[in-house]
Amino acid sequence: MAREARVEQHPATGMTLVVMVGLSIAFLLFIAFLNVVKSGDILSEANLLYAALVFYAGAGALYLGFGVTGTESYIKFASLATWAGLIANTAAVAHRWYEAGHPPFASLYEMLLSFVWTLAALTLVAEKQYGVKVIGTVTMPVAIVGVVLMQLLRSEVRPLVPALQSTWLHVHVTLAMLAYAACALSFALAMMFLIQDKLKTENFLAATTTFTVGIYGAILTRFEGWGGFNVIAWDPENKSEVFLAKNVRLFVTIPDLGWLMLLVFAAVVAPLTLYILSRVQKSESFIGVANRAVFVSILLQSLALLFFILRIRDGRYPSLDAAGLYPTALGTSPFILSGLVGGIFANLLYLLLLWRREDLERLLPDAEALDRITYKTICIAFPLLTLMIAAGAYWANKAWGSYWNWDPKETWAAITWLVYAGYLHMRITRGWRGRRAAYFAILGFGVVMFTFFGVTYLLNGLHSYA
Amino acid sequence: MALSLRSTASSTWKTLSSIKTGVVLIILVVIFSAAGTVILQRPMTDPDDMARAYSPAMLRFLDATGLTDVYHTRWFLALMASVSLSIIAASLERFPNAWRYFARPYKSPDEGFRRVLPVQAHISIKDEEQGLTAAERAFRHMHLKSERIVRPDRFSLFAERNRISEMAVYIVHTSLLLIFFGAIIDGLYGWRGFLMLTPGSTGSQIEMRNGTSRTLPFSIRCDGTGEETYSDGTPKRWWSKLAVVDGDREVLSKEIVVNDPLVYNGIRFYQASYGRTGKLDRLVLHVIPRNSATNAQEISLSPNQVVSLDADTKVQIAEFIPDYVVQDGHVYARSNDVVNPAVHLIVTSARSEKAINFWLPEIPGVAENSSSPYNFEPKDLKTGVFTGLEVSHEPGQWAVWSGVLLMAIGLTFVFYVVHVRYWVVPVQDKQGNLALWVGGSANRNRDAFEQTFKRFVEQIEKELKPKFEEAADQPAAGLPKTTSAGR
Repeated sequence: MAREARVEQHPATGMTLVVMVGLSIAFLLFIAFLNVVKSGDILSEANLLYAALVFYAGAGALYLGFGVTGTESYIKFASLATWAGLIANTAAVAHRWYEAGHPPFASLYEMLLSFVWTLAALTLVAEKQYGVKVIGTVTMPVAIVGVVLMQLLRSEVRPLVPALQSTWLHVHVTLAMLAYAACALSFALAMMFLIQDKLKTENFLAATTTFTVGIYGAILTRFEGWGGFNVIAWDPENKSEVFLAKNVRLFVTIPDLGWLMLLVFAAVVAPLTLYILSRVQKSESFIGVANRAVFVSILLQSLALLFFILRIRDGRYPSLDAAGLYPTALGTSPFILSGLVGGIFANLLYLLLLWRREDLERLLPDAEALDRITYKTICIAFPLLTLMIAAGAYWANKAWGSYWNWDPKETWAAITWLVYAGYLHMRITRGWRGRRAAYFAILGFGVVMFTFFGVTYLLNGLHSYA
Repeated sequence: MALSLRSTASSTWKTLSSIKTGVVLIILVVIFSAAGTVILQRPMTDPDDMARAYSPAMLRFLDATGLTDVYHTRWFLALMASVSLSIIAASLERFPNAWRYFARPYKSPDEGFRRVLPVQAHISIKDEEQGLTAAERAFRHMHLKSERIVRPDRFSLFAERNRISEMAVYIVHTSLLLIFFGAIIDGLYGWRGFLMLTPGSTGSQIEMRNGTSRTLPFSIRCDGTGEETYSDGTPKRWWSKLAVVDGDREVLSKEIVVNDPLVYNGIRFYQASYGRTGKLDRLVLHVIPRNSATNAQEISLSPNQVVSLDADTKVQIAEFIPDYVVQDGHVYARSNDVVNPAVHLIVTSARSEKAINFWLPEIPGVAENSSSPYNFEPKDLKTGVFTGLEVSHEPGQWAVWSGVLLMAIGLTFVFYVVHVRYWVVPVQDKQGNLALWVGGSANRNRDAFEQTFKRFVEQIEKELKPKFEEAADQPAAGLPKTTSAGR
């Protein structure tokens, strides 16, 4: 009896969400349209991106709704919203290409534009080709974050310096994006495999909290002794970062922001500590507290993000290396911003798993299928990685006279390649399947992330403009 | 004896060719490569930066262990050599088997094989020839060429596609070895250096990374160089017109830009940079005699030129300072950038044998401008430019690019080219019923293959049907259940 009642309830609440999302999209687009009519330029790049954002947000909401309640019709509308967003995004890409005279690969803004496009395209491919319908819950929020980040970055068309004026730029960067996107997909699939393989939720807690602690640890490298937080200064007249000397950027110190980051660091360490305690004391009760601590840490992480954005936009700050006050901009700290957003996002996904695990397990394909699909995705990613490295080497040879310089980015790309080669070897020759293969795929993606983010943020080299 | 030379050799070989060894070596390569990205490396870092980043004791330790130049130390090269050896050993160990598999296809499956093959089906048939013909037609439908295998006791069919796929792995590993080989050649015989030329000059001395210099058997002449910038000053294009002079003839000339080098005899010249030398190229002056406003003239002076202003007076450039600063009554150059230029002219009078120092601008303490019979006003200033060329010789790069191409081919075969085999054998079960045993095997993507195999079996059954409905009574077990109307 109760089951029937539940089944009856779902269709009613189902359409409500769709209608709400539809109305919100329409409302937001209408407001934008009014604004646009005022300024006169309907199909500007900013507007197209805004439209894409609105559609992706709608799609994300619907995917999350599907993830949570399981109503099939959400997927149809979510797909439609993703399609609409992809069309707007494609228009934005085309517009940018036309304005700049080259494909959008030459600055962080352009890379994000291309990345978000690839993400939306791959979401639709994964749904149709692989039948993994919930992938939108992961990819759409990332796409939303990407578009939001783009609104905060400077977006003028930058002319290409001589080294970047080559077709090989387009070849290399396209291959890199496709390869990294395929690796990201394999990561998501490996995670889903672990869910279906009945990996305990506590283990996901451990992984998420360790990841968040890692992010804040990296962020705290910018902590200045008396509670300040170092960010790179921005020169609004020349629209570039401030340089003291060649390749040496000027850092300004935002007072007190360091304390906030330290506080949030403590808040994200708390659930990890509680997890470790639960293992040491062999007591489950700590896990309940840890989960509540995760919820609290999400709130504090959101505060950190908010204050970070506000303080950055809000003033001129002193520097330890030069006299005077300098402004800064969000565009000079893309990695910190990504880290803050990524941390919130990962913790939210963990909560989704914690609260709706049975629903997820019902909706995802079975473990064996996910294992096979992960393998197939890596079979696509690996040749792409190989070609990307080869194209990069050939281009380097043409531009700088040497195809391999042991530059940190090159070296880490090679390490990534070796790790995925390791995965394939272990699978093909040693028959590694299931959990071990999934962990290996996750490790591979971790290395990809380090190659993409860590090298530029933490290390130096020729690739410093990418 | 338990420890014979043979058994040591064979156990060494077994270790060397094992996958575990390969994985351990790869892990070591990863660890040390990563270390080289985190620890500052000497070839890429200023010695001052290195001294600033590490304490003297730490720096001594890092230098001693080679960690400040990881990628060029002997032990790292030995590690890479070990990886190559492990690949070679592993391939040699497994190749004979794979070659047997490749060179001698298994066309006629025996009973044991037929029993255990995972992908198989049985189709009842009335007549051997009919069954085989139907199967042959089904093969044609699948665009497979089948062959009849003749055995003393029976015929059977065999068809396969893409046998090369069995060799794919070896193609990939060979390509990797080719790349390593090229890199080794370049490491041993390749070099890189820098050559700076000003327009009109010729050079053949290359400055190498390590401070030494190398002389080329030919020379490069710069016939011109230039820079185009965007409106905000960022460089848009650097170009140089270069000519190769071998012996006394000009053999090659090309205008190079970044990404488009000049290649001659395996040596490549890349447009790497462009700049101002800070040296004066040409100075145009407006000359006015002191005592009359008329008879003004315009002269053009280059650094070593003496120009006669009249029968008695000559002028030449003594020095040009692109960015001057005065200290203690002397004029010094602050930088090479043309920020604050000053030029020192010497006006000589033959009659009075006086040499007057004329400075533009008139710097107090050194300038004697009022004593000069002529007044000079600057009209135009052209400073020298240079083009920075990166020069490299990489004899091994052809091996590297061939290796890359081969790897692309190899990976395509590994992932996308599947070796499929089909066998069709007429068999008789214990009751004497005739059936067609159909078996299939694929070396990859087995789940997709199972679907293809099912379609193949259905196709055979379809080919059998028309003949079958002519038969009198027995509906066969292999056919889909249709209402058996009989005739």
